[in-house]
Amino acid sequence: MADVKSLEHTTLKVPYELLNKKFRSAQKNIDREVSKVQGAGNDLETCLQQNTVTVGEVTKALDSVVEKLTFLKRKADESINDELDAARMIKRRVEHLKESECLHPDTKPLWQKKRLDRMLVEFFLRAGYYNSALKLAEHSELEDLTNIDLFFTSKEVEESLLRHETAPCLNWCYENKSKLRKLKSNLEFNLRTQEFIELIRNNKRLEAVRHARKYFTSIESDQMPDVQKVMGLLAFSSNTQLKPYKNLLDMCRWTDLVHQFRQENFKLHQLNTSSMFTVTLQAGLSALKTPLCYKTDGDRNPNCPVCSRHLNELGKPLPYAHCANSKLICPISGLPLNEHNPPMVLPNGHVYGFNSLANMSTSNDGKLVCPRTKEIYGLEEAEKVYVM
Amino acid sequence: MDACLAVEREVDKVSSKFVSLRDHTENTVDELSSSIESIRNELNEVPGDRELTPAQSLILSQSIRRVKDAVSRMSTEHKDLHGSVSKVGKAVDRNFVTDFSSVIIDNAFEGDWKQRILDEVICEHFLRQGMLDIAEALNEEAMLNIDGTSKEPFLELHRILNGLKQKNLEPALRWAEQNRNGLIEINSSIEFKLHRLQFIDLIRQGPERQLEALMYTRNFAPFATHHAKELQVLMGSLLYLRQGIHISPYAYLLDPIYWDEICDVFTRDACALMGMSVESPLSISIRAGCVALPPLLKIKQVMQQRQVSGVWSSKDELPVEIDLGEEYRYHSIFACPILRQQSNDINPPMRLICGHVISKDALNKLSNGTKVKCPYCPMEQVPVEAKMIYF
Repeated sequence: MADVKSLEHTTLKVPYELLNKKFRSAQKNIDREVSKVQGAGNDLETCLQQNTVTVGEVTKALDSVVEKLTFLKRKADESINDELDAARMIKRRVEHLKESECLHPDTKPLWQKKRLDRMLVEFFLRAGYYNSALKLAEHSELEDLTNIDLFFTSKEVEESLLRHETAPCLNWCYENKSKLRKLKSNLEFNLRTQEFIELIRNNKRLEAVRHARKYFTSIESDQMPDVQKVMGLLAFSSNTQLKPYKNLLDMCRWTDLVHQFRQENFKLHQLNTSSMFTVTLQAGLSALKTPLCYKTDGDRNPNCPVCSRHLNELGKPLPYAHCANSKLICPISGLPLNEHNPPMVLPNGHVYGFNSLANMSTSNDGKLVCPRTKEIYGLEEAEKVYVM
Repeated sequence: MDACLAVEREVDKVSSKFVSLRDHTENTVDELSSSIESIRNELNEVPGDRELTPAQSLILSQSIRRVKDAVSRMSTEHKDLHGSVSKVGKAVDRNFVTDFSSVIIDNAFEGDWKQRILDEVICEHFLRQGMLDIAEALNEEAMLNIDGTSKEPFLELHRILNGLKQKNLEPALRWAEQNRNGLIEINSSIEFKLHRLQFIDLIRQGPERQLEALMYTRNFAPFATHHAKELQVLMGSLLYLRQGIHISPYAYLLDPIYWDEICDVFTRDACALMGMSVESPLSISIRAGCVALPPLLKIKQVMQQRQVSGVWSSKDELPVEIDLGEEYRYHSIFACPILRQQSNDINPPMRLICGHVISKDALNKLSNGTKVKCPYCPMEQVPVEAKMIYF
């Protein structure tokens, strides 16, 4: 269970954030309809307070109250069902995680494979490999267990930014206004700045000034230097070679915006900056890493992940596994050395498992050939080694 | 389990509250609507231009107040659920770990170069798993430019494996023949096993194919020396061809388990031949990581309580030993039982005359001039007689 506890925070937190969002929008919807009902009620009351009221007027007002009430009923129903859907999503994920507790040995590898695939989907989404993520999720039936929807809304925003459109991203900022303010995000400011720069680029300076007046007047004080710098652009042509202004006009600012948006989106949904995949991979490589993985080729083991070409490179900056107790394997068979397969030393100092040496001796007319030095001995020359 | 249960409990609570709120709002609104409608229907019976009587006006204003109160209550009732909703979030935060800051090296995998390596590792992982379309999608999106030649071995492997699963031995046999020398070098008996399966398939079909089976035995010639015993068994089975193998002492040959075995053997040998691990290195590493993370997080917690900062930064070694189990051992590590240190070139393991092994440093520390007593048995000896050994 401990691994679920350590690994699965985002699996549950993201749908929770969704539930929270749904709750807030439900509250908004209900409040809106409630105030409409009350408005209709008020109309009726003012109607009643008049000196002379005809039945016709009253029935009309009553009709409107009934109509508003039906709207309220429908809206409340819809909103609460949305909330229930969101809650069900969390529940489904909890149930999947609970499965890990009572796994049959046969199904365990499948669950673990699914976990790896879930991690990879998340990793792909973070890296922006949407198509791969979607394919993998479909292939392994992970749609309910991964946060694909979240990333796909962000994909649309990112693509619009790359097309140099700010509207969808501004819209997103507006939707998550209060949360972004809490995070002290300056994404919206940066978007407005970019709009300003684009106006300058297209030589619409008057419009740029109007834009600045509209959006730069309500900024935080610490953004002042940025505004001043950007405003300086007004004095230069769009093909200026002057360093700070040339940088402002650089197209790569759009990709920076994409990156910033991505980061803010992660923070907004309580996602860590590094994916679970990389965290787990780091821990795993460290736990497996021995000094022998980085020695000469002869010491490498093709089955050892850290010895494999790519992972070896990735493992370089990571710490080695801590090893206070000897862990020995037979270099011939790769099987652990223990009381059932005691270590034996040949006269040249090389140690092998008894079982391997015995097998070699029977299939080789009683001769032992040391695989590392090719020296030849008899089985009786091997001596026992006691490792505490 | 507790962690999941805690969250589940809160989710269940909030769901049931939502359900009851939904039903409750539905009922109240229905009630309100019907009461208003009944009043309206009553009013409808009188002509529209008639004035409202004071009594009617009173009833109306009372019921309209009731409607207003009820709907504003509905809004508050929904608002009150906020507590239950946020309890779910708190349960998630309380029971699951969010912070990995000091158990990982933050930028260890950052940068375009590292990202590319990671992408390649993942791509290879999918190729090995036979999820070729996903590997292809990744190859495209990450712009890895993995060309056909490096993919080909994987594709072939899966073609053959799929063949084996459908009990088609042809592609595997062709592959084994092509790689015969390499396979002999790694002591693989896959070619023999493939021929054996083919032969068994022939004798399974009864006496009609007897001649064919006999002809097929020629294929066994190269294996006569190494597999004499198994060949005898196969030849012996021919005796029972007429009465039916399935009721003979050789019935076990027909066991479908041999087909499962051949898939395993093939994967293992093919990977060994290509110098690859049998299982995807990525799967192994991630599984190891899932085992390693909980103890690392725990030790971090303890160290933070004692105000020791940076679990990984202090040394180039993890702070605790993580027992991954025997299947994750790929190298022999000798840790001196006296000094509790891993051996290395400068401090190699030494075997005392009595057979006990300690590190060279420990031996130097324990030796008293020209004598040393084994720390594990009563034997006294001369330190120079200890011999360096290689695990």
